[in-house]
Formats: sequence, structure tokens, C-alpha cells
Amino acid sequence: MASASHLRVLLSDDHPIVRRGVRNILESTLEYEICGEADDGDQTVKLALRLHPDVVITDISMHPMNGLQVTEELRKSLPDAKILILTMHDSVEMLRAAAAAGASGYLLKSDAEELLVAALHSLGEGDRFVSPSFDAKLVKQLFH
Amino acid sequence: MSNLKILIADDHDLVRKGLRMLVEEHPGWSVCAEARSGREAVDQATQHTPDIVVIDVSMPDLNGLEATRLIRKACPKAEVLVITHHDSDEMAAEVLSAGARGYILKSDSDEELVHAVEALSRHKPYFTARVTEMFLANRASGATDQAESIRKRLTVREVEILQLLAEGKTAKEVAAALVIATKTSDTHRTNIMRKLDLHSIAELVRYAIRNKIVEP
Repeated sequence: MASASHLRVLLSDDHPIVRRGVRNILESTLEYEICGEADDGDQTVKLALRLHPDVVITDISMHPMNGLQVTEELRKSLPDAKILILTMHDSVEMLRAAAAAGASGYLLKSDAEELLVAALHSLGEGDRFVSPSFDAKLVKQLFH
Repeated sequence: MSNLKILIADDHDLVRKGLRMLVEEHPGWSVCAEARSGREAVDQATQHTPDIVVIDVSMPDLNGLEATRLIRKACPKAEVLVITHHDSDEMAAEVLSAGARGYILKSDSDEELVHAVEALSRHKPYFTARVTEMFLANRASGATDQAESIRKRLTVREVEILQLLAEGKTAKEVAAALVIATKTSDTHRTNIMRKLDLHSIAELVRYAIRNKIVEP
């Protein structure tokens, strides 16, 4: 893993305008390099295997291969890469599924503007990060 | 093209951010306001009189389609581009019926969005190839949008009367509700049934329900 101050990030979302929004947040910090972008799960895995990013930021609702399947696949094939789920799904069930798949972080899209950089910083330091609206005890259980 | 004022309406911060970035990268375009709900979009449009409104469909407190109707009424010069993740022929028809002249999907490329804004800035409609294909397929199969079809066949007054009749009002009650003579109301009813090839009030009610003029 590179130092937290220079992480290579692969960005995955099926909506280009959302990827642009994320890029806008990250480019304003100069701490992160977006090494690639993908608009479905298949492409995300292929690009990740080629680019070896430090962090993969991925949406869940994508086809073919959703973000949870991507996470499971990358846990096996690229165990050093951290996966940050960036989603609008705010249910506990989805949070559990993301943790079970092996994600290191779970950030709601509504929190992205304020917390994306903090989330990446945590992952860069080897910590977990989950949107604060989820119950802290549950988060601790799921992301130990 | 110089000084094109664009209003961005979407309840997702990331989407608004992405749209703002795209607009600001384009020389001569600027974001005059942002809105997080349909109601806010109408207020901002009235206040800032944008040239183009880029608006999502699913928004709280007045959805994007209803907001589009109100914006077109309040600012008839503003062109509306609907950007949504809803991918269906019904949605495309509703978007048009609301008065928007552009419809693209959030999964479409950034270039598509730029082309759409450019077209609307010249007051030309813009639809992606996929949406155009949906329209053509509908036309070929004869499945044209029913609401649009009714509007073409009936006058505004006749649609109003069709709804009242389907809600169970008699010709006399319709006349009273619209402050017209009973004879006029009767004539409207006869014309409606002739134009729609209906032969009884029961058929008229079924027709109104099927075409979502009244709830079942």
C-alpha cells in the first residue's frame, strides 16, 4: 500500500456524471491519483488486475457484476487493494452484505462531499470507514 | 455561444457536483443556480430565468416532471433537459408530455449531455439514439402514448368533461360544475363519445381508467 498521502484510486460507477462528481472532490485535494475509471463490474475487475490500485471506490448497482461481486472477486485476486463501497443504499442489510464481501469501507453517496476524503484517509491508514448514520456498535461488529 | 445560464436540479450532491464540473468546463456556460427538489427548482427557475434547466425526475417535494410543467409555464423560454436513470418508453413519453425537449440517461456519456445542452440552447430537441429507437418501435407497433393521443383527439374542455363523467357525474352535474348549460354539456358528451368511438357511459369510464384520466 502506498502512503496515505498518495493513493492510486480506481473509480467504478455506471453513471459517468457521478464519477465526474467524485473526481471533482478528489482532484481538489491533490492527495489522490485516479488511475482508472470503469462503468461496470466486469470492467472494474479487469482494470484493477491491470492497474493494481491502492483503493477501489465502487458503486453497488452495476451490471454485469455488481459492486459486491466485484468486492468478493478483488478480495481474492488483489488482497492488498482496499475496497470502498460508495452507494445510495442505506439499509443495514446492504451494509452487512458489503462487510461479508470484504469491503473496508461503506460510504453513502449523500455523505461523499463531506466525508469521501476522510474515508480514503482511513483506508490508507489501514482502518475501516463507515458512514456515521449507521449504528456504531453494529459497524464495529461487522468491520472488525 | 456566450453566457448560457444553466440551472441544475438533482437531489444527489455527487450528481450536481458532476454536472457543475461539466458545465463549468465549457466556455460560455455557467451554473446560475442549483436545486435539490422539484419545488426548489421551480423557485430558482422563476428567480434566475435560466436558458436551460437540467433536471432529475425522482426528487422529493415535487418530482422533476411536475416541476418541468411548472417551469415551462413560469419561464416559457427556458428549455428543459431531463436526466434520469429511468429507462423506459413510458418515461420518455411522460418527459415529452411535461414539456421537456431533451431526455438523456445518467448512464449516457458526458459528451451526450454536452450535445443535449448545445441542441437545447438552439431550441432544438435532443434525444439519444436509444430513446429515438424506443419512440420508433412504439410507433411501428402502434403503441403510441395514450395520453398524448387523447390530447390530440379531444379539446382541453372535453378532457375535463371526460374526467367528470368518468367520476360519475351526470351531464347536469357537469354543467353545474363548469358553469355551462346542460345542453352544452350534453353536446360535449356526445362529441367525446363520437371522437373516442365509445357507446355507453360504462365504456367511457373504462376508457378513462385505462388511460389514467381517473383512478380505478
